[in-house]
This record gives sequence, C-alpha cells and structure tokens, in this order.
Amino acid sequence: MLLCGGIFARRALFLTRIVAGARPSDRPGALPERVVAEAEIVLGQKKLLQRFVPGLMHAFIFWGFIVLFPTIVLAAIDVAGGHVATPEWYRALSDVFAVLVLVGVATAVVIRKVVRPARFAGSHLGEADLILGLIALVVITLLFWHHVGGVGFAWAHLVVIGVFLAYLPHSKHLHIATAAVNVWMARTRRRGRLEPLRFDVPDDELRFGVATIADLTRKEVVDAFSCTECGRCQDACPAYATGKVLSPKLLIMGVRDQLFAQSAEPIVGSGVPEEMIWDCVTCGACVEACPVSIEHIDHIVDLRRSRLMVDASFPTEAEPMLRDVERASNPWGKPQTERAAWAAELGVRVLEPGDPAPEYLYWVGCAASFDERAKKSAESTAKLLQKAGIDFAILGPREGCTGDPARRMGNEYVFQAAAEQNVATLNDQGVTKIVASCPHCFNTLANEYGDFGGSYEVLHHTELLAELVESGRLKPSSSASSITYHDSCYLARHNDVRVQPRKLLNVIGQPVEMKRSGKQTFCCGAGGAHMWMEERGSQINVERAREAAETGAETLAVACPFCTVMLDDGVREVGAELRVADVATLLAESLR
Amino acid sequence: MILVHVDSDELSGQAVGFARTLGHVRAVTFAGAYQPAAWAKALAAQEAEAIVAAGSDRGNELLAHVGAILDQPFAANVISLDGDRVTRVRWGGSLLEEAGLHGAPKLLTVAPYTQPAAEIGDVETLDAPDDGSPKVLETVEESSGGVSLRDAKVVVSGGRGVGSAEGFAIIEELAGLLGGAVGCSRVVTSAGWRPHADQVGQTGTKISADLYVACGISGATQHIAGAKGAKKILAINTDPEAPIFASADYAVIGDLHEVVPAISAELRKVRG
Repeated sequence: MLLCGGIFARRALFLTRIVAGARPSDRPGALPERVVAEAEIVLGQKKLLQRFVPGLMHAFIFWGFIVLFPTIVLAAIDVAGGHVATPEWYRALSDVFAVLVLVGVATAVVIRKVVRPARFAGSHLGEADLILGLIALVVITLLFWHHVGGVGFAWAHLVVIGVFLAYLPHSKHLHIATAAVNVWMARTRRRGRLEPLRFDVPDDELRFGVATIADLTRKEVVDAFSCTECGRCQDACPAYATGKVLSPKLLIMGVRDQLFAQSAEPIVGSGVPEEMIWDCVTCGACVEACPVSIEHIDHIVDLRRSRLMVDASFPTEAEPMLRDVERASNPWGKPQTERAAWAAELGVRVLEPGDPAPEYLYWVGCAASFDERAKKSAESTAKLLQKAGIDFAILGPREGCTGDPARRMGNEYVFQAAAEQNVATLNDQGVTKIVASCPHCFNTLANEYGDFGGSYEVLHHTELLAELVESGRLKPSSSASSITYHDSCYLARHNDVRVQPRKLLNVIGQPVEMKRSGKQTFCCGAGGAHMWMEERGSQINVERAREAAETGAETLAVACPFCTVMLDDGVREVGAELRVADVATLLAESLR
Repeated sequence: MILVHVDSDELSGQAVGFARTLGHVRAVTFAGAYQPAAWAKALAAQEAEAIVAAGSDRGNELLAHVGAILDQPFAANVISLDGDRVTRVRWGGSLLEEAGLHGAPKLLTVAPYTQPAAEIGDVETLDAPDDGSPKVLETVEESSGGVSLRDAKVVVSGGRGVGSAEGFAIIEELAGLLGGAVGCSRVVTSAGWRPHADQVGQTGTKISADLYVACGISGATQHIAGAKGAKKILAINTDPEAPIFASADYAVIGDLHEVVPAISAELRKVRG
C-alpha cells in the first residue's frame, strides 16, 4: 500500500509542478456560475447525459464511487483490527451502488466491445479495458467483503484500490482528479471571447500564442490532463466529419503527450500535425460536447498565433484577406467609400463625426455591405427598422472589419489594430446600443471589444426584430411555407441566441427542424477565417445543405451572411430546390 | 569588406546601395547557368564582414545555402542594420521585425524596393565549378497557352455552370481564339475540375485583364475580389439573379454551353 501511495504521490507532484509552472489563465471571478457548473456538469453529469446510455453508464460509476468512498475507511479499520459497526442503511446503499457500478462497467464493455462507436478511433483502448477491470474488481471485492466476510476480502479491496490509485495518474483516467478542476476553470461568461495577447508587456513576458509546452496557459495544461479520449468532440466536429485531418480529440492528446514527455519541440509538427490547426472552423461543437469542459478552440488559436506571427507559416491563400483587413478595413479589399452604397436608396442615416448618437447603431458588417447575396439581409433589416420607427444609423465608410477573421486566423496584431480603431469610432460617436447583422461581428462587439475599452449593449438583428414583433411594432403575416432554420455557430453556440430567430419563423411560416439544430448545430464551413481558405476533401457546406434538403422544407432560413453564401453554394452543389434567405428578408416579405 | 552578389535584375542595384552604407563593397557575379549550391560555395569561400544579396527568390535561396555551408544565421528581407540589430520585413510588408544578427560573416538579403538603387560599378566574375548540384537547364513558360493568368489581356473563366472537367473544352477553345488564359472559380477547383493555379479570386489569382469573360460563375464576393482588376467584365449565366451581373459591364443571360461555342464560331467566321 505504501508503494502504491508513493507511486501516486510522485506522479502527482510531477503533474502539479507542470500546472503550477504554466502561464496564468485570464478567467476572472464568476464564482456563482462556477459553483453551478460544478453542480451541473460534474455532479449532475449534464454533458455526459446528452448521450443517454453511455451517459448513464458513466453516471452509475461516478455516483457509485462517491457513495462508496467511505468503504475504503471502513475496510482499512477492519484490516487494522478495529471494529466499526457499519450502519445497515449504508451497507444496503453501498450494495445498491456497487451493483450499479457493475452494471455501468458491463454497459461500458458492451459499448467498447460490441457497439464500437467511431468516436473511439485513435483512443487508447487497452488502457480503458484495464481501468474497467480494476473498477469491477474494486466493487467485487467490496461485495465479497460485505456478504462473505473476512479480513481477507477487506485486504483485497484495499490492494485493488491501491493499484488503481498508482495507475490512475499515469493513464488517461487522470481525469478523475482533474476534471472537476477543469470545469471550475472553464469560461462561464462571454463564452465566444478569445483571451487577448498583451503586446505592451516587458519582452520576457511577451507571448505570441503557443509554440512549445512552455507557452501553455494553466487552463490549457489542465485541459490536456483532463481528456479521457471519449471522442465526443471528434463526433461533433464538422471538419472531422468531412474527412479533414483535424480531430479535436487527437489534438488535445497530442498536447498532452508533449506535456508528459516534457518535450521542448514545437507542438505543431511533433505532437500535432500542421493541417490539424488550420482545419478548424472554430464552431465550438467540440467545446459544447466535451463532458469535462476542455476548450479546444483556445489551443487551436494559440497554436495558429505562433505559427502565423512567429513562423509566418499559414495557408497562403488567406494572405490577401489578412492584408485587406489591415489596409482596406474589409476582407475583400473593396473601397470603403462603397460600404454604404446599399443604404443610399433607402435613405438610411450615415453617422458623421459629431452627430448625436442614434438609439441603435446598426453594425452592418463587411459581408452584408459588399456581398451581393448578403446585402439583401441588410436591406431587409434596415427596412424593418424603418417600418418599426426605430431611431438607427450606420457608420458607413467609417465602419471597419471587426477583425474577427484575422483574430481567428491567429493574427492578433491585425485584430487589435482593427478593434482599437472601431472602439475609438464607436466611443467618439457616443454609441451605447448596437444591433449587428453578422454573428461574427456580433460576437466580437459583444464579447471581445470590452477588452479594448468598448462596452456596448449588443443585439443580433434577430433579437431586436423578435422584440419588435412581440411588442406589436411589426405585424407579420403567416404563410403555409415550410422553413428550416440553420443555427449559426456564433449565435446558437457561442452566444445562446436560439429562441428569437425561431420565434420569428414560427410567426411567418411552418418551421421544420434539421437533425442537428440549436446547440448541436452543424457549421456552414466558413468560421475561423475558413471563408478565405481552401477546403480539402468533401465540403462542410455541401453536407449541411444536404441535411437541410432532407427536411423537405421550401426555405432554408439563416441569420448570418457567411452561412447565406456558404449554404447557397451548397444548395446549388447538391441541386436542391431550396431557397436560402436571411430571417430578416423572410420577415420583411411577410409584411407585404 | 562587404561582399555583394549581383544578379541581372534591378534589385541588385538596391542591394549594392544598401551595402555601401555598411562599408567598402566588393560586387561579384557568376557566369553560366544558375546553380545555387555551387555559387554559394564560392561565396562562402570569400573573406568578408558580410555577404549581401537582393531579397529576390534567387538572392534568398543563395544566401540560405551560404548560411547552411557556414553554419551561420541568415536574415532575409532586411531594411536596416545597426551593429547587431537588424530590422526586416515579414509577411509581405505588413510586419517589421527587429532581431539580433550575431553571425560572422553577417548574411543578409535586402528587402526589395526599400532602398534607392545605386550604380553598381565594377563587378568581378567569380568562378563556381559545377559540382553536380541542381542547376537550371532550361526555362519553360507555365500554363498551356503560354499566357499567365495574372498578366493575360483576356481571361475566359468557367464556374459551376460548366458542369465538369471535360466541359472546359469550350472555355479553352474561346481562350485560345482570344489569345487569353483560362481561369475558374473556387467551386471548380474544389471539385477538382481545374488546378488551384487557375483559380481567380481572393484565395487564388487577382487578374488585371482588359476583358474578363465569366461563364457560369455566380459571382461570389471572393471571386469578384480577384476579377475586379479587369477593365471590362462579360458575364454569361442562366440565372438573371446571379450576383455576377452586379459587377458585369456586359451580360448575356443564357446557357454558356450554347453561348460560348457560338462566340467561338463567330470569331472563326470573322477571321476566315
């Protein structure tokens, strides 16, 4: 037993030192939310139970271990020759949970040996078998001790637990010790926010993302330690589903292997293949699926930052976009003077310096300003706001790209320059409320500009329009047309906007849901700067368009200009009879 | 003494001008076919405080070889050198990096068009024996018609409407008749009908043709971003709602499979 404890302690010290030596994470306060997260995600097993059978399997084992914990002390007292009368109710309770644990283990064996889900591809299967065996032995020895009796079984029970303890921190089952910590450290507010890099610090503190394990933040280290290789992230990943190199699971495992080996090699190239970090669309499906609150996007963006800013190595086709965001203030290099061209006919007010602030600043975004297909959404939104009598205005040529694609590509310089410029314009203009058309702009304005001195109340246009319909300022009419709604990742997942667009569609048509919707939505393929990168293999937008067509709906409603363009392309590709239109456009049409 | 490798391009004058601000310059060149490893060996054998070349593809390749032979650091695309501190251009000009360059001799190339050109003066031809390392044997123009997409006066481009790789035969025919290059949209390269080198767009080539003929291309913003350098745009598309028409000077609403061969036939007829 001492030997087992020694092995455990030695490893625990090694791992603790790694965590303590990592860079601090920027995760402020939010104590009540963290307590709630612990209760729901850890004790309540909320994320695991999203998949009912495997979730229940894990819950049985997890709850069983919590209930059975005191038996270790009781067995130890027995072995030491002491006498404790175990209360009958506890004996009965622990018997019930011991059996539940066995049921859990048996289910796990069936899942792993018979069902063999694809999400385990690349996981260490042997390790899992060993752990399941040990768990079974722990409760079997307990049951024998309870029902056959004798100090021998108490000994056996303790020895198995000792071996389990010694093995645990050397295996992926380390999550038993770290998962609760990881859940505690995870984002609770502003989930779509990336942590900014600080460029105004002394040289030795300057950090350009993550090159080697020495650059990882504490959260990133605990993320890596917490991965159980369950593969729920891999299952949810649109890049993986369409045959890309990226698997969020293998990425985190790669980081962990580098940490365990204490490697000084760059992570990209040794632990993680280069393609993996560029395949990601930052849709957040992996983060949403992860039962232990691993935040994969942070790893990917940090690795991208280092590759792009330090090594100048990134998919070269994205270079014009980065240059254009920086020089032309929009990702297509269009003249800024044309930005408000769509609004001229509608008589939308363009804010001039010194003008009084409107109630709402309408942040149009580059796509809806310049893209022929996406413009329709801006026109519809503006018409609706006019009809409802909302006092609003646009910045016109002084609105610049928020910097989102540059930031998600890893170019923090270009992003921060864009952010500072836009915040200065917005603050000079005295803007307090913003309505944004593009979910990417919306996320950046609402969650990220606060780090650069810009705090505003930000709504997505579907939120404001839903409010206007509810208050009766807009009166849409209903139709028999069937509509399926595609949730944008940056609305549904990163910002919890799922109800309002549906409220609007419920009023104007007959909604049908796709297989993957709401928080479980499947990306259009354009996020994380992928609008400006080439896609290898089969295409995410085509896969999604096929899924939309399967609903049999006549209209595919979207709420993001990038989704509009991607899915319109996808629909043409699969040759479906499906009209792609923004919720705002559909609402405007229903008023006629 | 600063050793400067001089090539036949205009960037070499700029490199010499930069090198004169560092010290006495000895300009050298090589006769015969470009053979970077062999040339670098000859450069590495010279006594010098610094070895400098223009920040061209060749200059950078040559100095990278010198760096490998001497096992010394090499700074590419430098705009200033002060003691051991270099400032250099990264990222196509959007980023300046300050770094320490501690090697001896200092190896660097000069960022193009950041220095005034200087008279090169006397150039000494060094001898570089052929050591069997790779060298340029002949130069072949890329792209079938001998016209590169970037510089072509006419570009005929196909999109999803073309339908297949084979469908590009009529596009190639028209491009051939007009002495132009063949382009395509992103959908086409994603589908594998044409190589990525043919793609016109934000993630492909930005063209500067007099005439751009867009056949069966819907005109996504990312495509227009690559085509907007064209003086005139002729769009052929069955869908009158296609965004391409917003950017087009001339529009034909019709099936490219009929329209394009008809244009080719007319061209043949006119030319006899």
